[in-house]
Amino acid sequence: MPRVLVVEDEAHLATGIKFNLELEGYDVEVIGDGLEALQRLAPPPGSAGNGWDLVLLDVMLPGLDGFQVVDRMRAAGNFTPVLMLTARGLPEDVVNGLEAGADDYLSKPFDLSVLLARVKGLLRRRDWARSGGEGPETARVGAVEIDFRTFEVKTPGGTVRLTLLEAMLLKLLVQNAGRIVSKAEILEKVWNVSPETETRAVDNFIMRLRRVIEANPRFPKHLHTVRGAGYRLVLEG
Amino acid sequence: MTVAGSQLSPAKRPKWRFVAMGVGLILVAVALTVAWQILAAPDQAVHRELAGLRWVAYFFGSLLFLLLIAGLVLIVILLLREVRLNERQSNFVSAVTHELKTPVASLKLYLDTLQLRDLPESRREDFYKTMRQDLDRLHATINNVLNAAMYTDRPVVDPQPLDLARLTRRCIDLTRTRYQLPREAFAYQGVESLMVRGDAGALETAVLNLLDNAVKYSKDRVEVEVEVWGDGDGQVHLRVRDHGIGMSRGHLPFIFNRFYRFGSEMRRSSMGTGLGLFIVRSVVKGHRGSIAAESAGPDRGSTFTLTLPGLIGGEAESA
Repeated sequence: MPRVLVVEDEAHLATGIKFNLELEGYDVEVIGDGLEALQRLAPPPGSAGNGWDLVLLDVMLPGLDGFQVVDRMRAAGNFTPVLMLTARGLPEDVVNGLEAGADDYLSKPFDLSVLLARVKGLLRRRDWARSGGEGPETARVGAVEIDFRTFEVKTPGGTVRLTLLEAMLLKLLVQNAGRIVSKAEILEKVWNVSPETETRAVDNFIMRLRRVIEANPRFPKHLHTVRGAGYRLVLEG
Repeated sequence: MTVAGSQLSPAKRPKWRFVAMGVGLILVAVALTVAWQILAAPDQAVHRELAGLRWVAYFFGSLLFLLLIAGLVLIVILLLREVRLNERQSNFVSAVTHELKTPVASLKLYLDTLQLRDLPESRREDFYKTMRQDLDRLHATINNVLNAAMYTDRPVVDPQPLDLARLTRRCIDLTRTRYQLPREAFAYQGVESLMVRGDAGALETAVLNLLDNAVKYSKDRVEVEVEVWGDGDGQVHLRVRDHGIGMSRGHLPFIFNRFYRFGSEMRRSSMGTGLGLFIVRSVVKGHRGSIAAESAGPDRGSTFTLTLPGLIGGEAESA
């Protein structure tokens, strides 16, 4: 049974989300404080992982806000997929969340069906990645080397670890190197959501990837935006 | 939100004073520069002519310099104040958004759940109860925002004689029901009946806000003492004392300010918009009364005392 940690301080929302996730067959725990959540997410001594399959994370929390929680999680080497829930819905919130290392976001109020689909999507991606997935195991883009089994990218500036969805997006682009990959295709294949979904997640992930693989992210030589069409990765630039 | 928003816009506050002060300071600076150039001129003839005036010039020069420094200090203070208001405003937008969107998100979630799942009757009843509470919360936030706009800097339009003691007891009952508290959570001490002149709706809002805060900032056990009494000078007092989280001395001067909340909104520890006490103060001011807050420190409870002119005092003044 997949284990989901719901970090939400609003009792009504937390109860409602827990109720629905449990009906879907997940093992759910609710925590209402950012600092406590971090402690709960830390791996128990002697174990490889922390036992969580997914974290649903609110932004406005007592103790420590959601951005900081995900930031510290990633810094501590915890790459459990994180779905952020934000009530403010400001564009900068979304950007902040994704930059801090969240894998997806949903603004409140949300549709229950959308929430369940996103949760399922993130979990399926994770299982897929665990089993090794399909496609290449390693790739080389310009001066950087990517290992899709460990999510590690060796750059001239050092080794960077990608989150699950970053790795999946990069893999999709590598598999289609030289070809334009549309935003709709990315949403469908990486996020597992409807291609019509209104989200800035893709643009933000592209920016994050550029920061990893490009020498100068402002003037990309490998990962190009093709206006109105999508993105194209050029292996040798 | 637009109602409150229009009042918040900095554009409405007088700007010309800042501009006048800035221009004045620039003129002073220019005058000082010119005078200094003349005094320091190497021309001996001018020097001899000015010799007598030297001390006068020094005196006025120093005076202008002091003026310049004082002006700069004042500008820095005003600037800091403006920055702080800005921060509070953005915190407020954050808080109101959160307070409006959270119950809406919850209502939507429960509606979706009811629609999507086949639930037993008892579970459905639970959900209806939750949804009702969300609606109450939404309603309270909307009222708060509207009240803040309505009672700001405005005297009571048509004051009527009313019984403050009875109004207070009614507010206690309302709060008790809203938070489903036991009888002993509130202890009412004081007179049976005490007449004041005022706007019943506005005063009820103020008293409810005070009681609401007392409950919200109480720890696990809610114990609130409410007292209403009149004194010899024709003044009427209402005191609300809780045994909750209290506050440090540093917070006291600011709690009645609009949008004031403890800490950052990103790390919220309680519900609210930072408007409650601001509304209380506005209402009290509109009634030509006053409000005071005391707290012995964090975790040692808070006491709010509201003072209004009594009916007799009010009549004497209007006569």
